[in-house]
Amino acid sequence: MSDAQPLVRVEGLTKHFPIIKGLMFSRLAGAVKAVDGVSFTIGRGETLGFVGESGCGKTTTGRMLIRLIEPTAGKVMFDGQDVLSLQGEALRRVRRRMQIIFQDPFGSLNPRMTVQEIIAEPLVIHGESDTAGRAQRVRELLDVVGLASYAAGRYPHEFSGGQRQRIGIARALALRPQLMICDEPVSALDVSIRAQVINLLQDLQRDFALTFLFISHDLGVVKHIADRVAVMYLGKIVEIADKRTLYARPGHPYTQALLSAIPVPKPGRRRQRTVLKGDVPSPIDPPSGCRFHTRCPHVMDICRRVEPALQADASGQHVACHLVHPPAQPST
Amino acid sequence: MGTPNSAQLLSVRDLRVEFEYESGAAPAVDGVSFDLAPGEVLGIVGESGSGKSVTALSIMGLLPTPPGRVAGGTILFEGEDLLPKSPAAMRHIRGKRISMIFQEPMTSLNPVFTIGDQVMETVIYHERVGRRAARDRALEMLEKVGIPSPRARLEEYPHQLSGGMRQRIMIAIALACTPALLLADEPTTALDVTIQAQILELLRSLQDEFKMAVVLITHDLGVVAEFVDRVAVMYAGRIVETADVAGVFERPQHPYTEGLLASIPSLDTEQTRLTAIPGVVPSPFELPAGCRFAPRCRHARPPCTTIIPPLLPRGAGHGAACIRHVDYRTEGLKS
Repeated sequence: MSDAQPLVRVEGLTKHFPIIKGLMFSRLAGAVKAVDGVSFTIGRGETLGFVGESGCGKTTTGRMLIRLIEPTAGKVMFDGQDVLSLQGEALRRVRRRMQIIFQDPFGSLNPRMTVQEIIAEPLVIHGESDTAGRAQRVRELLDVVGLASYAAGRYPHEFSGGQRQRIGIARALALRPQLMICDEPVSALDVSIRAQVINLLQDLQRDFALTFLFISHDLGVVKHIADRVAVMYLGKIVEIADKRTLYARPGHPYTQALLSAIPVPKPGRRRQRTVLKGDVPSPIDPPSGCRFHTRCPHVMDICRRVEPALQADASGQHVACHLVHPPAQPST
Repeated sequence: MGTPNSAQLLSVRDLRVEFEYESGAAPAVDGVSFDLAPGEVLGIVGESGSGKSVTALSIMGLLPTPPGRVAGGTILFEGEDLLPKSPAAMRHIRGKRISMIFQEPMTSLNPVFTIGDQVMETVIYHERVGRRAARDRALEMLEKVGIPSPRARLEEYPHQLSGGMRQRIMIAIALACTPALLLADEPTTALDVTIQAQILELLRSLQDEFKMAVVLITHDLGVVAEFVDRVAVMYAGRIVETADVAGVFERPQHPYTEGLLASIPSLDTEQTRLTAIPGVVPSPFELPAGCRFAPRCRHARPPCTTIIPPLLPRGAGHGAACIRHVDYRTEGLKS
């Protein structure tokens, strides 16, 4: 990692969605702090997993990388270029190198377009080749994602969920991107289809040297596909580490609770489970100090006052927790 | 499985449900039979379209008719066949003897009534008690399902609660009249994993306290392994395997069950590649002849496309609908 420049470097990425009240004299009533100062890197050819529960900001983070959502603050460096300062043609040139696959294989394909039109659309937008060349490229892409070439003339409703997800993947591959944001790509699929799509994504990563940001709430899937994993809670990264480290000895109490909450398909193997109390607090007015302190089984006084920083240990495991990295105590 | 067993709490025999459309009839459930003892927890596992929810809705008498229609079979509950019962008679069973909770805690509650009204409604209808007694029961139920400050919550509306809290309210309503049978249709699928753990713990402790039988419908094999006593695996409208929970997970006998188990990424071990089941679930309008899993099965051989395999016994209480087992043992000896 240190020898080469990472493909993506994100620093202090923040998104506050304004809450506007009143129709005539509208005023700013507050902000939903969806993502609040997130920093990470993704190496070339690496898969970074992003896990967390609904509302933790993982999807917003993914979308900010490709500016589908404009960040409030922060920096996104892609292959040495500052993505957030780019405009016009320069932005288009960078954007074609990063693509996204969405969760919903039904909502993310235009029902009035044929599969040929859907997959060729990025090529049209970026002015690649002529009609015949595009038809040829679509046939290649269909083959790559495991669909027959006659699929090109059909409409999305004629396909199952898994096949539609393959169409979405083909569209994302059309411009030969380097970075692929996979936003819950298998969550809407049935169990037996999920494995097919995961295998396909791994094959594509190997064949096309892709870098993945893999967003999922399914920790089992992330463990299978990712190299490193970031855990988000209420707009912050609370832990980021190599996957073997993270799953073997999770550092943050939230990561520990998440892992212990997963039901394991092995009867009689119920582990000691940390059942968290209560719900995730509102991101409009997140708790002071450590945002997890309202649900943390190990909460200390300092957690309510001081926000823990994301700190690394010798093995490179980053954890934002006072328990793991005790703050320097004044002599009292 | 022959005749229904009236000694059981619930005995379903050869249930057939069709959905009729202009393009033809789709058999959503095709000859499903199972028994449930009092206090037993049965898991029905399957993917979308396998018929697991339709089975539960048929038991509840809540099948959307039309297009749905029970084409045959019996559903014996506490010794009585539910299928010929009138809607009025079913209203006295639903909510009192059999309750159901659903996947969407967002849409299962009425947004214009308070939480208190909705819990009390069931109690007043079935137990003919006054509002005061019903309110006391509602308060007691909210405490039981772990709602913080239950007295204040009685006056609140569903939108003021989180998804996990709403599912707790649904459970309070379902259990208010202490039913003998609870049908839980994907009760935690819409919830986050930490909230899912809370709801499963709650269901387990209430099941223990009320000694009720539960049918848990889910696609999540992890939830099944931790929660149920016995499992029925459904595929394309049929039960393809049934056994106690250890039997299904440790000695799966149907290739579909094996495939499902192999396709889940494991948290303990590292695999470079997942073992996927090829192909897709068949459309109910174009079901293959013979075994419905045959087109996706790596053990399929010519008879599979003509013979519809019944549930063949594979040890005590274990059955699998696969002809592979006819010569399974000799195969084992040869290798």
